[in-house]
Amino acid sequence: MKTATRLLASCVLAASVTALAQGAPPPTKPADPVTGEPAQPAPAAPAASDGGVAAIAPTAGTGTGAAPVAAPAPAPKKIDPKLFDDALNDYFAGRPKDAAPKLFDYTENVPSTDENYAWAQFFLARSLIELKLNHAGAVYLARIARERTNPAVLTKALEELQLLTDRPHDEVMIDEQVFGALDLGFLPEEIAGYAHYQQGLVDLRVGNERWATTHFAKLPEGGAEASRAKYAMLVTRLKQAKKDLPKEMIDQFFELAKDPKLTQDARNDAMLAVARLRYELSDFNGALDAYNLVKLPALDPGRAALYLEEAWTRYQLGQVHAAMGLLTTLDAPSFREEFLPDKFLLKALIYRDLCHYLPAKRSAKELTRRYSESLDAVRERDDLTRDPRLLRAASARGSTRRARVFLESLELEGEQLGRYAGTFGERMFGYMTRVYDLSRAEAVRIYQQRLTDSVRVEADKLLRAAEQVRLMEYEVGLKLYERVKKGSKLVALLEEEPLKTNQVSFKFADEYWNDELRTYRFSLKSRCIEETAR
Amino acid sequence: MRRLSLVLSLLVASAALAQVQELENPGVTSAIQDRPYRLLHELDIWVGVLPLDAFYVGVYAQLSYSYHFSDRFAWQVGRGAYGLAARTQLRGELERTFGVQPTANDEVQFFVGSDVMWKPLYGKLAVLNRAVIHGEVHLLGGATLFRFTNSGFRPGINIGGGGRIFVNKYVSFRFDMTHNIVLPTGGGTTSFGNVMTVNLGLALNFGGTE
Repeated sequence: MKTATRLLASCVLAASVTALAQGAPPPTKPADPVTGEPAQPAPAAPAASDGGVAAIAPTAGTGTGAAPVAAPAPAPKKIDPKLFDDALNDYFAGRPKDAAPKLFDYTENVPSTDENYAWAQFFLARSLIELKLNHAGAVYLARIARERTNPAVLTKALEELQLLTDRPHDEVMIDEQVFGALDLGFLPEEIAGYAHYQQGLVDLRVGNERWATTHFAKLPEGGAEASRAKYAMLVTRLKQAKKDLPKEMIDQFFELAKDPKLTQDARNDAMLAVARLRYELSDFNGALDAYNLVKLPALDPGRAALYLEEAWTRYQLGQVHAAMGLLTTLDAPSFREEFLPDKFLLKALIYRDLCHYLPAKRSAKELTRRYSESLDAVRERDDLTRDPRLLRAASARGSTRRARVFLESLELEGEQLGRYAGTFGERMFGYMTRVYDLSRAEAVRIYQQRLTDSVRVEADKLLRAAEQVRLMEYEVGLKLYERVKKGSKLVALLEEEPLKTNQVSFKFADEYWNDELRTYRFSLKSRCIEETAR
Repeated sequence: MRRLSLVLSLLVASAALAQVQELENPGVTSAIQDRPYRLLHELDIWVGVLPLDAFYVGVYAQLSYSYHFSDRFAWQVGRGAYGLAARTQLRGELERTFGVQPTANDEVQFFVGSDVMWKPLYGKLAVLNRAVIHGEVHLLGGATLFRFTNSGFRPGINIGGGGRIFVNKYVSFRFDMTHNIVLPTGGGTTSFGNVMTVNLGLALNFGGTE
């Protein structure tokens, strides 16, 4: 009984120590930049350092299980207060490479209560960003945001973080853990706006529209965030709409597409949404108008999806020559790697409608020929992420694309870090290497997770197209051997549009010009006889 | 006979090959674009040289107005130029060494004229794969009335050609070269004359695509 009581007491003691270590006293040591948790229990002496370098926790946040083994903490070093001034001089003299190791040394050897501690972290972050180590910089900025030791630095750090969100960034660390979890009461208006927007997005993602609306309602009217929030809300509602597409949503998207506060990309997305909604409602002319309103920068090749969707719309309108022209565009080098199984199906349909059955059959076969390996992989139930075409398609869109781009940027920055091995010194370099290794491991995990889902979507798309193509092959096969009655006349119901006086025609000779991509027109006489004409 | 049959079989084979190609990839694709730059009224400011005479090089400034009927045809309604002569080394040598009178050479003082313009070529150029510029090539034919320093007014007929590069809807640059055959009338001259003009102009366009 005595032994049991002693055991219970030791358990309770251990639990209370853990609880203390987890939450209670403010850490005098900076939190770990990767996980955001206190690196080690608070030291006794204020100047002492526990060597946060060795304490990167492998848990939570962005860390993974593949953490390096923690090395013993080096002995605390006495820091000359002038080191901070020297570092600032270096930074403002345009020498971030020299400033960074000094600032690192400073932050590692002074307590977080030091008046310059947060500033040192901030300028360390700025120096790292200037050295193109954006993620490392973001880690320090996120640390400032979590620790909140100095309100003046906090605002600046948040501004810097907001700027970093325009580039590939750690969405969990910045969007969710910093902006998504900020206490919004103390923030200046512009940062609060962005934080409200991010918190609204997080709520939308988890399906809590009411909370998202509360956040979005606090955005200043007329600001860029308000417009982006409207767009996010509309997209979410659209995803939730089951059968009946609300028509007023088209007008709302149309309004957003003209909103100058949105980026051109976002406006184009809104206009594409208008086009898609109109297409779904069989308003093909309206859809075509919307596609024409998508504005691309001069000589920008544009997006393959835009051309393919426009081609389908034109096909539905009977403009098969223009539709085929757009399919020519999709053969351009800029889109050669695009995963567009529908393209071959549409091509086959157009040839079929013009009664050119052999080319129709060839186009249909082209799909199964080109994607034979991917189709085999699906049939054999192989790991689809290993199929290069499906992998490329899956990682080219949405959140999987963002995860891939972030992973690539981490790898690039990791290589970049190697250049500073000598300048940073063993301790800082080792620390940065571990930060990047951990972040990379987590980024790989997230990427793989998203990839698994999106590769399945692409495989479904491929299978559906392959099925359609098989039907088409059968139909065309029947047509090929159809007997032509005596006296049947050719009819040309699908007339080509004549050239207008203000137009100029450049014959296409396998040379793609970006300014021509949207203007190709195919010319082919219909060979349909009376009975079979469309 | 054998040679004939060989040629025939080759012809048949190539025709069959062309048919196969047509069957596999039927149709023609073209890029149909709206002309980004169309002209109606055009006012030009020119600088030019008369490079042909061995005794002087005429440098002149010219103003002209053109009306464009379509993308293919235009009328350069009027042009007028006034020139200054820069004497060549040869002429200086003749005057110094052989005592030739400075008044012995006939120089173009000014000229006016009108031309029709045919613009058969229109195209675009890729500039270092970063930009596209549009331009056209035209042929000119017209008449010019010259005022010479010695022989006075003499008419001429001219043919030539040139090119245009569009900068934007309002501005384009033109480069023209014309050869004028000056008729042997007026001033007591009995022989044909030749005057070549080479000029570079800034064209201001109104009423077209802008």
